[in-house]
Amino acid sequence: MAQPLPRTETTPDAALIAAWQTGDEQAAAELVRRHARALARFLTGAGAPESELDDLVQETFIRAFRSVDRFRGQCQFRTWLMTIGGNVLKDFGRRMKRRAVIPLDEMVRDVTGDPHELAEASETEARLAAGLKALPRLQREVFLLRAQQGLEYEDIAAALATTPGAARVHYHHAVRRLKEIVK
Amino acid sequence: MNEDAMIDAAKRLGAGPAARLDVDATARRVLERLREQPARRSTWIRVQWLRIAAALVVVMGGAYAVHQVWPTRENAGHAAHFVADDLNGLSTNELQDVLDRFDEMISGSGTAAPVEGSGDLRELDPQQLKRVLRSLEG
Repeated sequence: MAQPLPRTETTPDAALIAAWQTGDEQAAAELVRRHARALARFLTGAGAPESELDDLVQETFIRAFRSVDRFRGQCQFRTWLMTIGGNVLKDFGRRMKRRAVIPLDEMVRDVTGDPHELAEASETEARLAAGLKALPRLQREVFLLRAQQGLEYEDIAAALATTPGAARVHYHHAVRRLKEIVK
Repeated sequence: MNEDAMIDAAKRLGAGPAARLDVDATARRVLERLREQPARRSTWIRVQWLRIAAALVVVMGGAYAVHQVWPTRENAGHAAHFVADDLNGLSTNELQDVLDRFDEMISGSGTAAPVEGSGDLRELDPQQLKRVLRSLEG
């Protein structure tokens, strides 16, 4: 086991990632604590049901830590994490569809189904959530990365292996369609 | 809804569920699962290799069995090729001996040998003899 890295709130993600790669579990735990809530917001916006949120967050971090060798600092760790979260959510949707217990649209995307959330969400949020579920996945994720997470197009583009111009176009398409849907 | 309202709503989206997430518990659970699952992964890899090895054995065994039951025509092709090659190394006398044997075999079966313009094999030069032998090979 590697010597634990002395951590502060300002310890860069890159240092924590390097420490995790040498076996420092506490560095991994710090990365989870640092990014789990932002990831949870992203997943919820993308349609994750709250009942599955903790498990989806865990699964995203596990996949990220296992494939961290592929992360070369091309974007922020958080942005990269969210693209993995998008894949985890997509796989979850497929599993639910196969089980056919609850229709995919209701299970994965309907954030208005939970009465607690319904009471909590403002009307605007509810309308936006309903609009997001009608968007193609790429547009939805680019919109959330930009509007919800406040990321730069360059960062989004690097995470999605596209160009900043293409990311900008996806965002504007998303906004235009949301305006049409959420009138 | 205008774009600013959308962005404001997007920032609030999921804030409640995220706030309720116990991040320390999530971090503990992630570490537990990371400790548990590498073993499962190595087992999975072993199982996959065993499956691949078994599939190879089945394919190779099947191919060998098929080869034994239905010999391929490739061998016949090789034999013909080698006979033709051998002709190049034979002297005139040796070629004539070979043709004599053929002649005897053909005469014995009552079939006339297709000799070009001549009834006597000994009058043929090596190139003519080779052509006759190749025509006999079919």
